[in-house]
Amino acid sequence: MPGVDALRVTTVGPWGLRGEVEDALAAGGVVEALFAAHGADGVAEVRCVVALPDGPLLVRCPLPAGVAPSVVDLVPALDWDEREAHDLHGVTFEGGVHRPLVDHPEDPAAWMTPVAGTDVHQVAVGPIHAGVIESGHFRFHAVGERILHVDARLFHKHRGLERAAEGRAAPDALPVVQRACAACAVANTVAFAEAVEQARGMWPDEPMRRARTLLLELERLYNHLNDLGQICAGVGLAPGAMAFAGFKERAQRVVHGLVGHRFLFGSVAVGASDLPLPAAAVAAARRDLADLRADATRAGRSLLLDAALRDRTRGTGVVSRDEARRLGMVGPAARASGLAGDVREGSPRLWYAGFRAASPEDPAGDVAARVEVRVVELRQTFDLLDDLLSGPLGPGGATVAGSPRAHGVGRVEGARGRTVCAVELDGDVARRVHLRTGSYANWPAVARAAAGATLPDFPLINKSFELCYACVDR
Amino acid sequence: MFLLLRHLARQRREIALPRGPRGSLHLRHVDAGSCNGCEHELQATAGPFHDMQRFGLFITASPRHADVLLITGPVTTRMRHALEVAYASMPEPRLVAALGDCALGCGLLGDPREHLNGVGDVLPVDIRIPGCPPDPETIARHLVAAMERPGHARPRGVPATGGDAAPG
Repeated sequence: MPGVDALRVTTVGPWGLRGEVEDALAAGGVVEALFAAHGADGVAEVRCVVALPDGPLLVRCPLPAGVAPSVVDLVPALDWDEREAHDLHGVTFEGGVHRPLVDHPEDPAAWMTPVAGTDVHQVAVGPIHAGVIESGHFRFHAVGERILHVDARLFHKHRGLERAAEGRAAPDALPVVQRACAACAVANTVAFAEAVEQARGMWPDEPMRRARTLLLELERLYNHLNDLGQICAGVGLAPGAMAFAGFKERAQRVVHGLVGHRFLFGSVAVGASDLPLPAAAVAAARRDLADLRADATRAGRSLLLDAALRDRTRGTGVVSRDEARRLGMVGPAARASGLAGDVREGSPRLWYAGFRAASPEDPAGDVAARVEVRVVELRQTFDLLDDLLSGPLGPGGATVAGSPRAHGVGRVEGARGRTVCAVELDGDVARRVHLRTGSYANWPAVARAAAGATLPDFPLINKSFELCYACVDR
Repeated sequence: MFLLLRHLARQRREIALPRGPRGSLHLRHVDAGSCNGCEHELQATAGPFHDMQRFGLFITASPRHADVLLITGPVTTRMRHALEVAYASMPEPRLVAALGDCALGCGLLGDPREHLNGVGDVLPVDIRIPGCPPDPETIARHLVAAMERPGHARPRGVPATGGDAAPG
């Protein structure tokens, strides 16, 4: 099926950007990412990745004056994208109030949303937290215990990975992308590799599609198990937390036995797939996964029926369907709010033919729905894993089926949702790499879900999304 | 008051409970720009399979209660200040552990303008735990080894560490 996901590239002036976005939305498209880059002549430009019903589109918008029209009023989900483009690439967006995102000015007023009223007080948390958690700062505006608003100030872990990847040959840039996040290493590197392969006009053969799908589902397995354990920890349900921490460990041991690394590092390569996957290891993995499935399914059912857990999770941290769509939520959290959409349903470069995303029985958008969606998705992941491990597995590769282009876009459903990677190549060298992960898309929704909740519920709401900081900060 | 305490001390001696491992370390973890891999593995070290608490190793919420500052990541510019504040908040004697290759200055990471090259650039490192990320056993082995200083018996049931595992 080479060519089914051919990327169209269109270039417009700053005056045409909003029109292009409006047309895309009218045609039923979704603007999945906006980022800044510099053209070969050094001129800054804004680029939008758009998923249209008839295929992906990259909109390039060179900005001779460094000023772009803001499109946040058309697509609120691009708020962080524009703020990042400003802070990292100096692009100014006209028509909005700019609050720093990546930059960390001293004055809180520069990055906080002003909240006023009687008895409103602020609670500052982080960047160092009490447990073993990644670094980030939260500023709660509260009246008593009730949260009015949360400002999340992330990017404490910004390592400049995109810039570090740029200027390297694509195979050398992949390890840099991989280190954006350990928990999402496969999703991020497959998105990068697919973007490079698409730009080079390459199409993966069957063994490579199967191998990458296997890796993605293995990654989803230990992430979903981890997330369920973390949610239990968030309500102090120690048996659940311990059980799922144990399941996650078992899943990681299976992964280690198959690939030799507990986070699947080094398992994805550009244009090739040379996992050894010896038959004995595959057989052992199938056996262990069958045992794990039985135990995890039973424990998952217990979670759904646990009255104490339901009491804390029902109606907590609600994001309505309309709100989820407006914020551009993705992944299990979006499906828990009743939004359809799973990149796996349309991934011709992977092995998901006929896949249909599972949805929770009651997609109420609360913590309970986010628990349930993971329980039902685990079932599918076990099915997919067993199917893939029982079929042929071996080295694969990608063959050149089209002419090379400068731009490529990879889209992958990671454990936390749609991950988009846009790559610009100059020959073999990556000129621009942009990674927009599921966590990046969903962080604003965490703040939305917390508004109106009580302070002690925030850790639970946060864990029900269980987003990565590293994936966002890069 | 002091009479009461002496009385309690004698009572505790007379109860003669079986002795557990001697010594313990309380750890405060600081993520200074990791990929989250070291955090996952540190959580697993404290999880049900490895259960590092049985060796006297505990995660503590505040640097003021910590013996060891356990740091992951290459130390980003935006985390440097918070890290230094956490270190300054610790009582003496205090140890610094660099967890993972990034914290040890592997140099693989991002743009050098955005981070230092490891914990050693800001703080004196006592314990070095290599790996990308180090697995839970490696983490536990190095931390247990840090307790094996003069005057500390090795906890029972813990294998002696090899040369590469000795705290730096």
